[in-house]
Amino acid sequence: MTLAPAVVGSRPVDHSANPPLDRFSYDDDIVRKFLFATLIWGVVGMLVGLLIALQLANPFFNFNTPWLSFGRLRPLHTNAVIFAFAGNAFFCGAYYSTQRLLKARMFSDAMSRFHFWGWQAIIVSAALTLPFGFTQAKEYAELEWPIDIAIAVVWVVFAVNFFATITRRRERHIYVAIWFYIASIITVAILHIFNNLSLPVGFLKSYSIYAGVQDAFMQWWYGHNAVAFFLTTPFLGLMYYFMPKAAEGPVYSYKLSILHFWSLVFMYIWAGPHHLHYTALPEWASTTGMLFSVMLWAPSWGGMINGLLTLRGAWHKVARDPILKFFVVAITAYGMATFEGPMLSIKSVNALAHYTDWIIAHVHTGALGWNGFMTFGMVYWLLPRLFQTEVYSKRAVEVHFWIASLGIVLYVTAIYSAGLTQGLMWRAFDQTGRLMYPDFVETVVKLLPMYWMRAVGGSLYLVGMFLFGWNILMTWKRRPSQYEVPVIEAAPLTPRFAEPLVPVPVPASLWGRFANAAWHRRWERAPMLFSALTLLTVVVASLFEILPTFLIKSNVPTIASVKPYTPLELAGRDIYISEGCFNCHSQMIRPFRYETERYGEYSKPGESVYDHPFLWGSRRIGPDLAREGGKYPDLWHVRHFENPRAVTANSIMPPYAQLLTEHVDFAGIQKRVDAMVMLGVPYGEAVNSAETMARAQANLIAAVIASQGGPSGLQDKKIVAIVAYVQRLGRDIQVQKTSSAIPTSGAKTP
Amino acid sequence: MKLSDIMSNAGLSMYAEVALVMFLFAFSIIVIRTFAPSRRRELSETSLLPLDDGHVAVRVPSSVNGRK
Repeated sequence: MTLAPAVVGSRPVDHSANPPLDRFSYDDDIVRKFLFATLIWGVVGMLVGLLIALQLANPFFNFNTPWLSFGRLRPLHTNAVIFAFAGNAFFCGAYYSTQRLLKARMFSDAMSRFHFWGWQAIIVSAALTLPFGFTQAKEYAELEWPIDIAIAVVWVVFAVNFFATITRRRERHIYVAIWFYIASIITVAILHIFNNLSLPVGFLKSYSIYAGVQDAFMQWWYGHNAVAFFLTTPFLGLMYYFMPKAAEGPVYSYKLSILHFWSLVFMYIWAGPHHLHYTALPEWASTTGMLFSVMLWAPSWGGMINGLLTLRGAWHKVARDPILKFFVVAITAYGMATFEGPMLSIKSVNALAHYTDWIIAHVHTGALGWNGFMTFGMVYWLLPRLFQTEVYSKRAVEVHFWIASLGIVLYVTAIYSAGLTQGLMWRAFDQTGRLMYPDFVETVVKLLPMYWMRAVGGSLYLVGMFLFGWNILMTWKRRPSQYEVPVIEAAPLTPRFAEPLVPVPVPASLWGRFANAAWHRRWERAPMLFSALTLLTVVVASLFEILPTFLIKSNVPTIASVKPYTPLELAGRDIYISEGCFNCHSQMIRPFRYETERYGEYSKPGESVYDHPFLWGSRRIGPDLAREGGKYPDLWHVRHFENPRAVTANSIMPPYAQLLTEHVDFAGIQKRVDAMVMLGVPYGEAVNSAETMARAQANLIAAVIASQGGPSGLQDKKIVAIVAYVQRLGRDIQVQKTSSAIPTSGAKTP
Repeated sequence: MKLSDIMSNAGLSMYAEVALVMFLFAFSIIVIRTFAPSRRRELSETSLLPLDDGHVAVRVPSSVNGRK
């Protein structure tokens, strides 16, 4: 503990042994900035969320506008809520708590401001690129390479500022909240850099350096741990600081927090493969992911129990303090989500839930309940301290709590029901052994009432968000004409510091000396060594899974008939990515009879060896497309893209009529093929004649469409490229199995 | 011989079990040091850190913030 001129805890301060006290102040201006950013981006992210919820209930809400279509806005919603709303909330709480826990102002005000403005610029960049189809097609990592580099730079500046503050601290011991921040900062940097390694082919276009199975593995190593180290560990750090503050008592068990921390950090990093059960991922990786996911239950609930029991003796306060109510529901939601997560990782449960809305309900229990309510509780607690006036309306805080709680209940009830309904309908067989709902759209129509109910729940949550914003603004308006800045006095840390006022006897035996644990106490006071150990934990666990996936040949057996996409198909694939089709359509048929009956032969690892990036998807709002090639004539696809409801009544797919008028960038195709060659895709003659080959195939497809009674003159339009791509899907395996594959114009290989 | 050949022939089917043993080993060490009796006072004091924002010596008006 810092030897400040006061009684700290129950320990008297010995002034005579200390150097002169330092005087300093905390930088709360940066905290206020992040607070407002949290509010603004929270409203934006949730508004977009409501819009895409309405789009699923009725495709009218796509407004026939490409940049407002579901496929493009869905990643904007997830990025805005995760990185803008939750990210800014984490930074807000971290800047406030770090300075106070370390008894030090942030190392550099300039770096803090660079972090703030840099992060906001990145969010604006996301808002300006994702709706216009610039995406890497990797969930929660959609942003293109220039923005990825900006993220890395801003994150490094944040990290340098944070660690430099630790080195200048005046508090010997590093509280567990800081440990969680350290783990988050280190791990997010590793995840971001390695998952986003890509080869640029233009200012806002790149291809992942990984392909197929390996890309899927890297993506979900990242994706799962983005949830873990961006939405979980940072908020646990906030919980360990703000919950004791609000409850006015220490955390229930500091020992439990230590066990909880190390167990989480060690286990989380292994769990990613549970997102890929029954896919073409090797079975050993899938099982390892499941095992560690199930084990995660214990430390997760350790954290939840520790949070809730921090209220021991203070439960009576919960009834009259809405801030504590927010925290209690947040921690309860964390408990529910972290019970459900391990359960969903069990393969047999996952078989039912994967690709369904169940997963959406699961993540929204976490996001709306845990992240949202932790943020609301924290901000309401901070308001009077940051703006040095009372919260404008405590009644509004109470109303916000109840309206948002009701919103969550409506949302998750509807979407859990939708997920179960989907999963059960997909696998239902009738008495004759045939699929009971062979037409996919039947399973969609059943969900529409639940989608409307979800929109109502989301609206209520958003109303709560507006109340939150109104209360913040009104409180801010009541701030004093000049803030008072508390000047803090604390003793600097010196090498002469003798920590144990009561010497601890050193046991004589070897075991006794080990159990005495002085060695670990030294680690904890050496933040850089502590950080290195955290880094080691994360890296070793990651390499344990990543190296075999990349290096063991049998993990991805090649298939001789699988060839690279033609130049036109590659261009079509890029349009598919740009429109965000992967947000609704998977390309991964699992080895279940109800899947092979519906979609065809199950997917093999060797089928996606040329897929940079992989497009297996994580959700089926529409049917799987892995074997779509040859199922319908080219003209069917043209009509379907132009107006999905014209060929599939009750479809909720947005129209893509612009594909019939927008031109294919033939001149840019060669560069894209060259990039694929650099990534190891064997392109043969297309290396020098990609544009010519693409134009020839486009002419052929356009002629076929016209001959089938469709519009003429499509040979230079985007529709021929995407039809070429869709007609190619799954054809390589069909070619291997039978020579009687349906002849379509898009099935040529280079 | 390439690294991929070595890895392919290494027989790594026990990976999940090895990972579990690694975790249990690390977890045991952490449990021992966390529950060491000698740490009781230190951990108790550390748990109080969030409640101590530091001694306020004086409050001064800010020059940059506040209502205009």
